[in-house]
Amino acid sequence: MIKKFMEYALNKPKVIISLVAVFVVLSLTQFVRIKVDTDPENMLPSSSSARVFNDEMKKEFALYDILVIGVVNKTDSNGVFNVKTLTDIYHITDDIKKLDGVIASEIISPSTKDNIEQGDIGSVRFNWLMPEPPKTNEEALHVRDEAQDNPMFHGTLVSEDGKALALYIPIKRKDLSYEISQKIKTIVKKYPSDDKYYFTGLPIANDQFGVEMFKQMAISAPLAGLVIFLLMWFFFKSVSLIVAPMLIAMATVLITMGLLIAFGFPVHIMSSMIPIFLMPIAVLDSVHILSEFFDKYHVYHDRKKTLVFVLDELFSPMLFTSLTSAVGFFSLSFSPIPPVQVFGVFVAVGVLIAWALTILFIPAYIMLMNPKRFEGFGLSGKEEKSVFLDKILGVIRIITTKYFKPVLVITVILVGISIYGISKIQVNDNPVRWFEKKHPIRVADKILNEHFAGTYEAYLVLDAKDKEDEVFIEPKMLHYVENLQNKLLETGLVGKTTSLADIVKKIYYELLGGDKVNNVIPKSKPAVAQCLISFENSHKPDDLWHLTTPDYSKLNIWVQLKSGDNKDMDKVVKYVKKYIKDNPPPKELTYNWAGLTYINVVWQNNMVGGMLKNFLGSFVIVLFMMLFLFRSPIKALISMIPLTVTILFIYSLLGFFGKDYDMPVAVLSALTLGLSIDFAIHFIQRTVEVHREKGTWEETSKEMFAGPGRAIIRNALVVAIGFLPLLAAPLVPYKTVGFFMFTIMAVSSLATLFILPAIVSLKPSWMFEENNKALSCKCSYCMLIALFVAVAVAYVLFGYTTAGWKPITFISIGIVVMFAGICHMASKRKICLMEEK
Amino acid sequence: MKKIFLLLVILGFCANFVFAQNVDEIINKANLVSYYAGKDGKSKVKMIITDSQGRKRNREFKILRFNVKDGGEQKFYVYFEKPTDVARMTYMVWKNLGKDDDRWMYLPALDLVRRIAASDKRSSFVGSHFVYEDVSGRGVDTDIHELLGEEDGFYKIKNTPKDDQGIEFSTYAVWIDKNNFMPMKAEYYNKAGDLIRTIEALEVKDIDGHPTVFKSQATDFERGGQTVMEFSDVQYDIGLDDNIFTERYLRKPPMQWIQ
Repeated sequence: MIKKFMEYALNKPKVIISLVAVFVVLSLTQFVRIKVDTDPENMLPSSSSARVFNDEMKKEFALYDILVIGVVNKTDSNGVFNVKTLTDIYHITDDIKKLDGVIASEIISPSTKDNIEQGDIGSVRFNWLMPEPPKTNEEALHVRDEAQDNPMFHGTLVSEDGKALALYIPIKRKDLSYEISQKIKTIVKKYPSDDKYYFTGLPIANDQFGVEMFKQMAISAPLAGLVIFLLMWFFFKSVSLIVAPMLIAMATVLITMGLLIAFGFPVHIMSSMIPIFLMPIAVLDSVHILSEFFDKYHVYHDRKKTLVFVLDELFSPMLFTSLTSAVGFFSLSFSPIPPVQVFGVFVAVGVLIAWALTILFIPAYIMLMNPKRFEGFGLSGKEEKSVFLDKILGVIRIITTKYFKPVLVITVILVGISIYGISKIQVNDNPVRWFEKKHPIRVADKILNEHFAGTYEAYLVLDAKDKEDEVFIEPKMLHYVENLQNKLLETGLVGKTTSLADIVKKIYYELLGGDKVNNVIPKSKPAVAQCLISFENSHKPDDLWHLTTPDYSKLNIWVQLKSGDNKDMDKVVKYVKKYIKDNPPPKELTYNWAGLTYINVVWQNNMVGGMLKNFLGSFVIVLFMMLFLFRSPIKALISMIPLTVTILFIYSLLGFFGKDYDMPVAVLSALTLGLSIDFAIHFIQRTVEVHREKGTWEETSKEMFAGPGRAIIRNALVVAIGFLPLLAAPLVPYKTVGFFMFTIMAVSSLATLFILPAIVSLKPSWMFEENNKALSCKCSYCMLIALFVAVAVAYVLFGYTTAGWKPITFISIGIVVMFAGICHMASKRKICLMEEK
Repeated sequence: MKKIFLLLVILGFCANFVFAQNVDEIINKANLVSYYAGKDGKSKVKMIITDSQGRKRNREFKILRFNVKDGGEQKFYVYFEKPTDVARMTYMVWKNLGKDDDRWMYLPALDLVRRIAASDKRSSFVGSHFVYEDVSGRGVDTDIHELLGEEDGFYKIKNTPKDDQGIEFSTYAVWIDKNNFMPMKAEYYNKAGDLIRTIEALEVKDIDGHPTVFKSQATDFERGGQTVMEFSDVQYDIGLDDNIFTERYLRKPPMQWIQ
């Protein structure tokens, strides 16, 4: 059936090309519906318990997503606490209140917050911290002193050194943060001064990321296209010929992205990388066809006959390399992280689209070309031949065949060292570090965390079992909370904590006349209650309900971390767990964490566990496919060795160089398997074929390190260099991916060329023992296959149970059916039927 | 022609003047009706505070009021009964015109009487959606009043503060009942012109010839949530003594009046 399609492509090239054009146009029409999603919360499914709890707590304690604006003045000796700066801040706050999307009543600024202080004639005063712009420097310093003295403001609103201020602007929706921050920047410009305004906070970082993401797609993807074009031109020196693979790459990218958008998936940081992954992969198969066509044209001198021969020859390796690549990506669909699932499935779809386009579009394109262009093909050896490359290949051949023992010993030692390195890997991520060091967001983040207690927020929510007795205004519970807070500060990771205990203490000593001796928790429950009701006579009594619930059965400890590193948050979480276990609270309670900094930890943990499963899963599936392809367990196992060594080696580098194992790195581990097995497939298949002709390994190796060796290096170069343009991206995760893909492709091609020949040299019979019996005749083989099938089925079923049944699941099942169809069609080919006879 | 024009201008000016007179008269009457009924008075109050999430809290207290001068200074005494933890807490307010009120409170659990310096009257009344000014009345001279019209038996009056320092609204409109001059509704708007809060009289009854609010509600449209105050046991002219509105009686409540 496939054959019929291909014949159709040869006979009716115009139809095929117009069909492809129609698909591309259809896909393009989908682009208007594009949605962008940069919210790291979406790394977890919306149904995940951590997210549900976070949403509940946000509602229960009226917590919002917050933009942080730090104000720093370096010229005045009192920093921002001078008349001019505070007057500006007063007016800027007023202007911000009027912006759409800002929750005006919850803004934290000196002019919007109430303070409790000592008034005249022994009175206590509830007043706005800065009711009006200060008229004198003394008034400005009074604002500072009062803010420093209030646990709600010290280290939050006013910096620890008393020189800087931070405004906290709560917003209705996270995706408004970029727009609102731009508007605030315009407001700030209306008040020219020496003051510097720094914008930070996770919402800004995320939204900014979306903006930069489009820049990345606009720069890196076309750049990758250009690089691939230049590489191919270098290989084939015929522009009209290499236009075809370029068109395929573009069509593949456009159709895949169109499909993604059409299915209603937003473009996430992961899916924005789809074009750059697809481009080099899409070109690979065409490179094979063109190479062969190039070589064989002079034999037939007829486009159609040459194509029929070439396509039949390449059908099986092309199918298998595409399938293994697709499987590598597809395994990501079992990851517990939705954006990663989407990425995996759609790259897999893209790989198959590229495969289909290659076997249909390339023949059609060649049929439409002017026949005169083919004259002299292959004869003059127009194809680029590098003396340099051949010399290197020769050296490798000698090393691997003559000194195979040292090569293998070194390999084993390398594996050992790599495993040690991997054990030192540090799992960590930090969305702010997704930006480069010089990016304004990173600069603001650094400066604000120098001045303030910490701009990364997490919430520790204590929930008393007893809902009736207003547990959290009991002095013994407040003492417990106070101790826990002190212990958190001792970890050095936490800059500041704020809880009901701090408020109660502040009100208590102000009521008693302002003497810090009384900065303690009152002795009885009514005393605490009466302090709180006094506080409720202020302008902002609702501020209390950020820290507790009106029935006092829940308490929210606001934890400010100095760093947004997931590993630091993780340490704090573990510390609290141990502390509460070792020091049971006076009244029974449960506790849980909320806040974006914590959410990041949750998905990170999912990611590490999930990716290890994906890696093992795709390993099993690829191994199974190799069994099927080579019909020999030993060959299948050997084929997996080079890439396993490569991946171990590269990930050990993370451990040795202290680079964090973050999201992009985790994702890459599973999918590189499917890509780098290609080299081994080609090497083993060709080796076996050449051996049939030549008879000895000695001769075979000479042949192998000529043509096929060159082909492997060439393919490796296309893929590896194709990913390099990612290094030009302004965002760190893209750079990481670019660097990693380049290294993995380069190293695994070399590993294939070193390790496989060395193994063959060790025991050629592993590779060349012909196996004529039917599969079922070999007991061990049969059992091995049965085992892998069982493991693969279990893995897939397990994947669905953890990932859940979502639209993406059904799409992926559709793909499985598609695979089955392809397999069925492939098995009906003439060649297969002949072999069976 | 010139003369006619001049006459028109003068007439117009006079009409305005008469109109303005009317507005101030209405406001003054409304002020007396809503805050100065009788020479003195007492009432039991149940307060239900509901926040934006529907979480409710109750407070119960007694209020004693003494008019020093009709339309002028007044004294208030608040005695808390519920919730239990704050029972026996007392508040005292001396309402002044043209300057800040004097306030005191007594916290029995700390055995502490403290003077509270109130820099403005727009802070929350014991955590509810009412502010002090809603309970004791806003000075009639603090705003510029403007009669917007008469609708369905109400005078609709727009009020703009003369000094907006420290005030969260920019204008408010009041609907005053034409029959008895009781303000039935007030709507507060911010600078952007959004409605941010309302105060409504939900139930008015006649006690000893004084129209009296028995149920009122303050609603916050910015943060959400509302507070309902239910009044009962309302009495006027009970013969309160000026003496009980002193610091001494904060610790030792005048039980004869609050039981």
